Amino acid sequence: MNRAKRTSRIGIIITIIILMIIVAVSNIKVNNVTFVESGLGVLVMPIQNGLTYFKNWIFGNDDFFTNVNNLQEENKHLKEKNSELEQSLRELEIIKSENTTLKEYVNLKEKYSQYETIPGYVINKDISNYSDTIIINLGSKDGIAVNMPVISNEGLVGHVISVTDTTSKVQTIVDTASTISCTITTSRDTLIARGTLEGDSILKATYIPTEATILESDKVETSGLGGIYPKGIYIGTIKKVVNTKNITDRYAMIQTAVDFKKLDTILVITK
Amino acid sequence: MKKAVTIFILIISFLIIYFLQANFFSWFTIAGVKPNIFIIFILFISLYSGMKPGIIFGILCGLFLDIIIGKSLGISAIMLGIIGAIGGYFDKNFSKESKLTIILMVIGSTCVFEIGSYILQTIQLSIYVEIMPFTIKLLIEIFYNIFITIIIYPILQALGYRIEDIFKENKVLTRYF
Repeated sequence: MNRAKRTSRIGIIITIIILMIIVAVSNIKVNNVTFVESGLGVLVMPIQNGLTYFKNWIFGNDDFFTNVNNLQEENKHLKEKNSELEQSLRELEIIKSENTTLKEYVNLKEKYSQYETIPGYVINKDISNYSDTIIINLGSKDGIAVNMPVISNEGLVGHVISVTDTTSKVQTIVDTASTISCTITTSRDTLIARGTLEGDSILKATYIPTEATILESDKVETSGLGGIYPKGIYIGTIKKVVNTKNITDRYAMIQTAVDFKKLDTILVITK
Repeated sequence: MKKAVTIFILIISFLIIYFLQANFFSWFTIAGVKPNIFIIFILFISLYSGMKPGIIFGILCGLFLDIIIGKSLGISAIMLGIIGAIGGYFDKNFSKESKLTIILMVIGSTCVFEIGSYILQTIQLSIYVEIMPFTIKLLIEIFYNIFITIIIYPILQALGYRIEDIFKENKVLTRYF
């Protein structure tokens, strides 16, 4: 019985370790290999240090030993200074992050000055893998109503679908149930962009007119059709155009300007 | 009295799971995919307490989720209710003592819940169906759910026996004699 318990405990620990490794590896970008470097460093560097020490000893590096006492004292002094500096650095960092948040608010207000807006922030994100709604800290008490558009410093976020006194539910543009009518800023061709399961910040643009010329990195903004989103709000850029046999079926992928994984501060357009 | 305490504990654990799912698992993901612990939770409740309490608890939890974060009322409620019913069915026909059967049950109910929710959403919200991306996400989610089940299995089992004692006082004995 005890043995069975022990094996099951070991099994659980192994599962946790494997899970953590999978989570870490699956979320690492391919070009980001510093962890390999540091891992190898841990293996190689102590041996390398030992070998250097041995070499110095053999070649009679006498100063090395006589200076040890002085060095220790200096080291202690430097460590104290270092901790003081670290403390002030931490304070500075807090001030810096506060500053960027405030700046974001100011920028947001200036950028969309033709609209009446209320700033807020995201308090909860969706729990499901197949939909993308968020909850914000503004409600009917702040003057929020259903169907009001929501934007951020980078571009369009979505629209309000339900309101309580103090919070609102926002359906983002990357939600699979979301559809937006948009135009390409240069050629003024209209498209319909839908949310897709293929990525966190990707839209699929369909109903592309046959005579339209769409190029990668073309900018896309709202067209003003549909009654929810006002005209001219930036959505993102064309990432890829997929041509099919039948030209009416071709579609494009739009990279949204907003990074929905890191979305934090938002503005609700009230007028 | 004991029943009330157990129900209270279940509600508290549901809230804990909700906050875990909304905060911790929103960044602790496998390739951007979150697990769905609610399925495991409801499955376990109905496995140990029976079909009726399972369905009721599933529907209530689903309603809570629909109201808090869902796009339309009822989808999670219906699907978690169905998971409650499936749990009750598994309880009658399969053994809960082996980890393997539990894992198979988790795979089955995750498939039923997610596919069912997706179909209902497609009908209700006229969503454009994307089979490939959906399947990939579902497979990763199943995989993640299995991992979590293995990790929390001892806790669930201990809690499960407690629930079983309280909800099925008479029935437990008849099964062994």
